[in-house]
Amino acid sequence: MRLAWAFFRRDAAIALSYRAAFVAQLLGNLLLVGILYFVSRTVGLSKLPSLERYGGNFMAFLLIGVALTDTVLISLFGFAQQVRESQTTGTLEATLVSPVSLPLILLYSSLWGYMMSAVRFLMYLGAGLVLGGLHTGSMNAPATAVLFLLTVMCFFGAGILLAGVVLVVKRGEAIITLGGVLVMLLSGVLFPVSLMPDWLRRIAELIPLTTALEGMRLALLTGAGIVQLAPLLLRLAVFAAVLLAAGVGGLYYAVRLGRRNGSLSQY
Amino acid sequence: MKPAAILVERNGGSCQRPAVLEVSDLGKQYTRRGSVRPALEGVSLTIREGEMVGLLGPNGAGKTTLLKILATLIEPDSGSVSLFGRDLARDPAWARRRIGLVTCDERSFYWRLSGRHNLEFFATLYGVGRRLARERIDMLLETLGLTEAAGRPYHTYSTGMRQKLAIARGLVADPRFVLYDEPTRSLDPLSAQNIRNWIAENRAAAGNTTHLLATNQLNEAERLCERVLILNRGQLIADASIGAIRARFAAAETATHRIRCRRFSLAGRLHPAPAEGLLEIAAEPAEGESCTLRIRTQAGGAGLSYVLRAILDSGGVVEACETESIPLEEIFCSLVGEPRA
Repeated sequence: MRLAWAFFRRDAAIALSYRAAFVAQLLGNLLLVGILYFVSRTVGLSKLPSLERYGGNFMAFLLIGVALTDTVLISLFGFAQQVRESQTTGTLEATLVSPVSLPLILLYSSLWGYMMSAVRFLMYLGAGLVLGGLHTGSMNAPATAVLFLLTVMCFFGAGILLAGVVLVVKRGEAIITLGGVLVMLLSGVLFPVSLMPDWLRRIAELIPLTTALEGMRLALLTGAGIVQLAPLLLRLAVFAAVLLAAGVGGLYYAVRLGRRNGSLSQY
Repeated sequence: MKPAAILVERNGGSCQRPAVLEVSDLGKQYTRRGSVRPALEGVSLTIREGEMVGLLGPNGAGKTTLLKILATLIEPDSGSVSLFGRDLARDPAWARRRIGLVTCDERSFYWRLSGRHNLEFFATLYGVGRRLARERIDMLLETLGLTEAAGRPYHTYSTGMRQKLAIARGLVADPRFVLYDEPTRSLDPLSAQNIRNWIAENRAAAGNTTHLLATNQLNEAERLCERVLILNRGQLIADASIGAIRARFAAAETATHRIRCRRFSLAGRLHPAPAEGLLEIAAEPAEGESCTLRIRTQAGGAGLSYVLRAILDSGGVVEACETESIPLEEIFCSLVGEPRA
C-alpha cells in the first residue's frame, strides 16, 4: 500500500507541477463535452432508430463512448508511454535496480492516470445528467461497476503487452497511433457498430471495447443488470483472463530479452 | 579458453574476511545485426567484505557491462556471479535489496520533484520504513551538505549537487554492497575532491560495507581504493593493490630520484654510467648553496649509491633524497598497451 501511495504521490506531484497543462487538459475535456452536445443537436435530439436499443439519445450514446474510451486508452497506451518516457528520461534503470518488479512498477505508475480517468468518467456522466440524455433512474450502478472493472482488467493486460513491445522495439508511437484509431473506428465509440458491414462487425466483436461499450450503454441507459448482461460480462472476463496472461507473459519476456541484450534503457 | 589476468596479487589480511562478491568466468557479448562484439571474456574476481575496490579500464573495456551485470540490469551469457553466497541469476530481487547503485546519470531523477521527494520515493522502492527513511535521508542530506536545498526541485540543482543526491540515493537503503559508476565524472576539481572526501569518510564510518568504484580518474582510485581491477577489451588484466602494481613496474624498469645537496657542483663530476646502474643525471637550477640532482637509475641497481658516494666523497652534504613514484597513468597506459599521450 505504501509503495502504491509513493507512486501515486510522485505522479500527482509531477502532474500538478505543470499547472497550466493540468488546467488546460481539464478545460479540453469540458470543451469536448460542448462539441459532443452540438454534434448531437445537429443529428437531432429526437430518438434515432439505430440507437433504439440504448434509449435512442445520441448525446448519451456519445458521452458513454468517449468516457469509457478515455479509461481504455489510459490502460492500453499508458503503460507503453510510461516505459518510453522512463527510457528517454533515464529513470527506468534507476527503478529497475530496485527490488520492485516491472509489472508492479507499471501498475502503480498507472494509479494517478486511472484516478484522473475516473474523474473524467464521472465528469462526462455528470454532463450527461445536466445536458440531458442520462437519468439517474435508468442507471444500474452495480452492473456499471463490474463492467468498468472488467474493462480495465482487459486493457491492463493489453496495455502491458504493448509496453513489452515498446521495451523491445523502442519507437512505439506509430503502433500507439494506429492502435488508437483502430479501436475508435471499430468499437462503436462514436457510432453504433450495427451501422458497419457484416465482415467489419465480426472483426469489431474481437475487440473487448466493443463488448464493454455495449454493456456500459445498456447498464447506464436502460438499467440492464448483471443477470441481463451476463453473456457480455462473461465474454469480457474471458478477454481479461487471456489478455492479462498474455500481457504479464509478454512483459516478462521483453524484460528478459532487454536484460540479455543490454537494451533496457536504450531508446 | 579462460584468459588469466597478467597481474594478480593474492591479498594477505583481507583474505580472512568473507567474500561478498565472487565472479567466475563471466562472459558477455552483444550481437547487433549479425555482428558479435565481445564485452566481457572469462572475467573472474573476488571482493571481500569491507573492501573498496577500483574498477579501471579504457572506454569500451567492459566496466559498464560488468557493473550492469552486478546490478542485475544485464544477464551474462556465461559464468556465474555470487553475492553474499547467493547466485545472482536465481534471486535477483534478493540481491537488489542489498546493492546500492550510484550512477552519474543525472537524468535518472525526477526533475520536477524536490531532492527530498526523490529520495523518499527511492527509499520506498527499497522497502525502507517511513521513519527510518526520514532519519536516513536527513542524515545523508546533512552530511552531503544538501539540507538547505532538499525542498528545491531537482532541476534547480548544480551538477555537483545532483551527483551528491545520486550518492544519497545509492545509500538510502543502507546497502551492504555499493556500486559507484564514475561518481565524479563531469565535476570540477573542487567538487570532485569534496565527493572523494565524503566517500572516504563514509567508508570509514560504514565499517563492513563493501564498495566497487568504477572510474576513469586514476588519482581517485589511488586515493580511495586499496585494490584495483583493470579491464581491457573485456578481459581482466590486473587484480592487485596499487602498491603491488607500482612495485611490479618499479622492479621491472627504472626509478627516478631527486637528491638535494649542498656544497656540491655537478659540473664535470658525474656522467651517466650504465655499468654502475646510473642511466641519466641532470642538475636543476641552483638556489644559493643548494642544488638538486635528478637521476634515473636501473631499478634494483646501485646507481643511487654511486651518486651519493660521489657527493659525499667530494665534500658535499646530502640534505634530502626522495624516490619519485611512477605515475599511475603511465602504468595504466603500459598495462592496456597504449602509449601515454
